[in-house]
Amino acid sequence: MTSAAVEQSVTSADILPEDMLRADMYGFLASLLRGEPSDELLNTVVSIKGDPSAIGSASSVLATLASKLSGDEVRDEYVRLFIGVGRGELLPYASFYLTGFLNDKPLADLRNDMAQMKIERVDGVKDPEDHIASLFDIMSGMIRGAFGAPTDLAAQARFFKKHIEPWAPLLMQDIEAAKSAVFYAPVGTIGRAFMDIESAAFDMGEAG
Amino acid sequence: MTNKEEKKGADDRRDFLKKAALSVAAAGTAAVASKSASADEALDTSGTGYRVTDHVKAFYKSARF
Repeated sequence: MTSAAVEQSVTSADILPEDMLRADMYGFLASLLRGEPSDELLNTVVSIKGDPSAIGSASSVLATLASKLSGDEVRDEYVRLFIGVGRGELLPYASFYLTGFLNDKPLADLRNDMAQMKIERVDGVKDPEDHIASLFDIMSGMIRGAFGAPTDLAAQARFFKKHIEPWAPLLMQDIEAAKSAVFYAPVGTIGRAFMDIESAAFDMGEAG
Repeated sequence: MTNKEEKKGADDRRDFLKKAALSVAAAGTAAVASKSASADEALDTSGTGYRVTDHVKAFYKSARF
């Protein structure tokens, strides 16, 4: 890719509003799942307003929890859920969910696809690429054109169906039901509802 | 697949997404998304950050003294 191609990025005006909302939702979930949330992020969550939809009501619960719990309580919960001593309650990696082992074939498949898309980990990031937050970051980036070129719906659908759909809904259910989950329970609810919407929407795009 | 059918699928998808009320979280998350985007530009290495290979190379080139 030439530097001219790198500079050529899509402006938000070129992207449908519905797709920007999808990108925002992926980005939002990734920011909560990537690591212990900062006070800044939690303050933003407090300002979220809900509505009667599944995502909307879980969002109100999340906003209320963000206002009631201290930042340290939420960060401790994140550690218990996803990091732990030795290991957390959950292992949010595609490879683990699909094979029972970390760093197995699903990670290798993902790395191949990422190489073709010319996406790589930033130096210093140790987490394997098949972490749920990185997959959501990639989806968000594909939709927004953050990786230098816009990704059409068909390619988004291929990535989603191969790397996310087979296991992310199950992870979201596990987050909702996890022993340690308080703040993260509605995050799981939002994620599960969003995965359902994405699956249904991609099927419609194809059915046409 | 005809063009007409293809367009209908795309329209159905748009309508469906509009009704899916994704905007709720987005009201609060647009700020988050744009913040994380600027963090990405600064090459924040604390998270699982990803970007196109050439962007990384461009950054390192510009960061070299």
